[in-house]
Amino acid sequence: MRITCPFCGERELGEFTYLGDAKPVRPAPGASQDEVYDYVYLRDNVAGAMEENWYHGGGCRAWLRVTRNTLTHEISSVEPAAGAGARQVVK
Amino acid sequence: MAEFSWEARSPLERALVSEPYGVQGEAGVALTEIRNFDLVQVMARRGKASEMATAAKGHFGVAAPETPKAVRTADATLIWSGPDQFFVLSKGGRQSVKSLVPIFAASASLSDQSHARVLISISGDKARALLAKLSSIDLYPAAFPVGAVAATSMDHTSVTLWRGNDAPGGRAVFNVLVFATFAESLWQTMLDSGAEYGIEIGHSEELA
Ligand SMILES: [Zn+2]
Repeated sequence: MRITCPFCGERELGEFTYLGDAKPVRPAPGASQDEVYDYVYLRDNVAGAMEENWYHGGGCRAWLRVTRNTLTHEISSVEPAAGAGARQVVK
Repeated sequence: MAEFSWEARSPLERALVSEPYGVQGEAGVALTEIRNFDLVQVMARRGKASEMATAAKGHFGVAAPETPKAVRTADATLIWSGPDQFFVLSKGGRQSVKSLVPIFAASASLSDQSHARVLISISGDKARALLAKLSSIDLYPAAFPVGAVAATSMDHTSVTLWRGNDAPGGRAVFNVLVFATFAESLWQTMLDSGAEYGIEIGHSEELA
């Protein structure tokens, strides 16, 4: 599997680290225990397209938001994660 | 009380032996450690990338790279190292961290990497063949021209790889910046990889 980093271009999987589902959003400080439990522990077991966080630690050290099909490994989109610093992206 | 010596020394001082390595005859690869350089990492503060770019342009006279490229200035090389960040590589203290702090005071954080990295230059007819064993980057001349940069991994070690100006005779020169504590390991791997081509080993004070 290869991932096309928006900053570096196409790279082998070994340069990246997988964090997991990119969808969960940290609850506000006053959130209920159930909301926090959901955020920390509960995950969807997606069969199909899934948004994921990947870290290009063996390259530019940017966090990326990757849309990957969990059945086929097909990657349909790779974007810089929020705050990754994205002044200019390789075309 | 123990006496400390703070004299700067190369992390390759022990591993680098300036004599032919591998098969005898005309060496296919030259491995040269470049010693005594100034290396400063410049990283834009949050939301300050434009200000950093303006400051860099004003100081160096050329724009700092915003994509994986290396750019020459009058007395330094600016090497892309990631989004909104680049290295300033120079000799003789011409672009030391001390001199750069006021330039980027309002836009970027600086980190002196002069003694944190080792700079290895790889050239010769078999330079690409050696690197192909360590790197998944396409180094074909058209795909990786002079000035191309890759923040990548070699032998599970993070490196900054770029192609410098060609040597006399038109031979490509590749430069690798590697963390000091990983340098000896990567050096030994390079020796193993290049042994079949014959290696000319040396060190230099000159930036390629
Ligand atoms: Zn990258």
